[in-house]
Amino acid sequence: MTVTRGPAPGELIVRDGDQVAQVFAVRAGDTLWIFHDGIVHEMAADTSAPRRGAHAQGSLTAPMPATVIEIKVAAGDAVQRGDILIVLEAMKMELPVRAPGDGRVKAIHCRPGDLVQPETVLIDLSPPEARDDAGPGRAGG
Amino acid sequence: MDITRLLVANRGEIALRIIRACREMGIETVAVYSDADAQARHVRAADYAVRIGPAPASESYLKVGAIVDAARGAGADAVHPGYGFLSERAALAEACAAAGLVFVGPPAAAIERMGSKIGARALMEQAGVPVVPGQTPADQTDGGIAAAAARIGFPVLIKASAGGGGKGMRSARDARTLAEAIPAARREAEAAFGDGTLYVERLIERPRHVEIQIFADDHGHAVHLFERECSIQRRHQKIVEESPSPALTPALRARMGAAAVAAATSAGYRNAGTIEFLLEGEGDAAHFYFLEMNTRLQVEHPVTELVTGTDLVRAQLIVAMGRPLPWRQEDLVQRGHAIECRVYAEDPAQGFLPQAGPLRLYREPGGPGIRIDSGVEEGADVPVQYDPMLAKLIASGETRLQAIDRATAALRGFPILGVRTNVAFLVQVLRHPAFRAAEVHTGFVDEHLASLLETPAPPEAVGAAADFMRRQGDAGARAIGSGAAAAAVHDPWADLTNWGRD
Repeated sequence: MTVTRGPAPGELIVRDGDQVAQVFAVRAGDTLWIFHDGIVHEMAADTSAPRRGAHAQGSLTAPMPATVIEIKVAAGDAVQRGDILIVLEAMKMELPVRAPGDGRVKAIHCRPGDLVQPETVLIDLSPPEARDDAGPGRAGG
Repeated sequence: MDITRLLVANRGEIALRIIRACREMGIETVAVYSDADAQARHVRAADYAVRIGPAPASESYLKVGAIVDAARGAGADAVHPGYGFLSERAALAEACAAAGLVFVGPPAAAIERMGSKIGARALMEQAGVPVVPGQTPADQTDGGIAAAAARIGFPVLIKASAGGGGKGMRSARDARTLAEAIPAARREAEAAFGDGTLYVERLIERPRHVEIQIFADDHGHAVHLFERECSIQRRHQKIVEESPSPALTPALRARMGAAAVAAATSAGYRNAGTIEFLLEGEGDAAHFYFLEMNTRLQVEHPVTELVTGTDLVRAQLIVAMGRPLPWRQEDLVQRGHAIECRVYAEDPAQGFLPQAGPLRLYREPGGPGIRIDSGVEEGADVPVQYDPMLAKLIASGETRLQAIDRATAALRGFPILGVRTNVAFLVQVLRHPAFRAAEVHTGFVDEHLASLLETPAPPEAVGAAADFMRRQGDAGARAIGSGAAAAAVHDPWADLTNWGRD
């Protein structure tokens, strides 16, 4: 799949073999606005920085419109950084939502089969009890 | 009394629509603007532009004195109010008359009579048109409104006595929900029209909204230009309108048209107006009830223009100049089908919450049978102070389904970025099997909301475009977020990088 800029500002041409798609995209702060076929997708502009929706109090949000495939934890479970908590599916790909730090699952706000939108809160985490090992302990970032 | 210079007491797409008609007719135009609109399209399109106040509408577009002063100062000889704002306020028509300005609309007395729901209903009853049970209680306290609702019988609608457009409208199924609805409806009515008087009526369930466009001149001529069906509404405001209505038979159309003309004639009405009906049932057996009259041009007037081949704004100006209507009833025919989709800056997923902000990208579609009436442009802000309608996309075709297909295709090629809009939602409405089968009523959006809000997962092309954009932005962004602190915060998106690009 190749992407090239089109002649108009913000226009992108996406080619997949002979298949061609006209897309319009702009970046505004930490959001990419992408138009294709009558639908606007709001996506994270920078995948290395936390999204606006990932709050310091420990909520993890959907990064884009996606379907919830599997929930691997239950409320009350202790989780470690990197554990897969929820599996989403978007763009025909599975997308694991991992714990951003050690903690405990406070609440789960989605069910398998749910269609979730960007900024939809999927799960709340509380920070690990008592001991703090000086690392980036805040859940959710 | 020719018009040589006309002040447009409005903003946005309707101001541009009126300015275009004036330009075609050789009439100079004067735009007015608030501080939020100093650079707006309607200002640049006019021959003259006058500032009338700060951004809030109540301090600018709703000030009769400021409008009349601007007209006099700019040497205008006429004022067109458009729709909304002061268009249904007799005070503006009166002030224009007092200042020797032609008001492009009905006489102040007709606005007062038909604009007040009581006067309009009384006239309709005299003309033999059925009305929905309802009243404006003399006692406007919460208790007075509640007593009126009890007399009429639940469910009820309460709404602004002074205006239309669904502003200040609330439904209530019982006394408890009514008690909550009254203060909110009153506040909205006050904010929108400067008048918090409330009207209470019986709620007719699952009706269609079908309205008749009428037109009358100073020479005793009155005609109707058929119907518009406006059943697709959200928050009691129309978002999709079409003509003809699939629910009308020729006999019913003739009955409704004749009733509307009779009412306009008996009211001494002049210029363009619309009689709104609720329709229960379909075909010759259907019942229609007078809802209200809009004593102005409607937002959805283009669908009538497209099926009748007329220019309603031009006709308004001709009639305002004291000339006869350009058509007799027998000249008017409906041909083909037209459908209008209102594109709003709003978030359907959050209860159609209005949105404001910069239009970072805005590209209007075109093509056979596509007309776009808009007042916005790429790079401009959608201000928070006004109605968030961005554009009207009107499609016409030989048949209803062709018009729907044209509208759907055009919306699918209407990119608007930076502000959330209802474009995808409109596409879902147009594609809905019940809509295509013309099985609609004013609760259509609420009934089908879940399926109308469905959004498919983004296709791979969108992911590839996103990845492309991220790489383009990397050069600047990397320098800031580098180091362990940024890397330690894991984002699930980081796992999504494989697009199989070459």
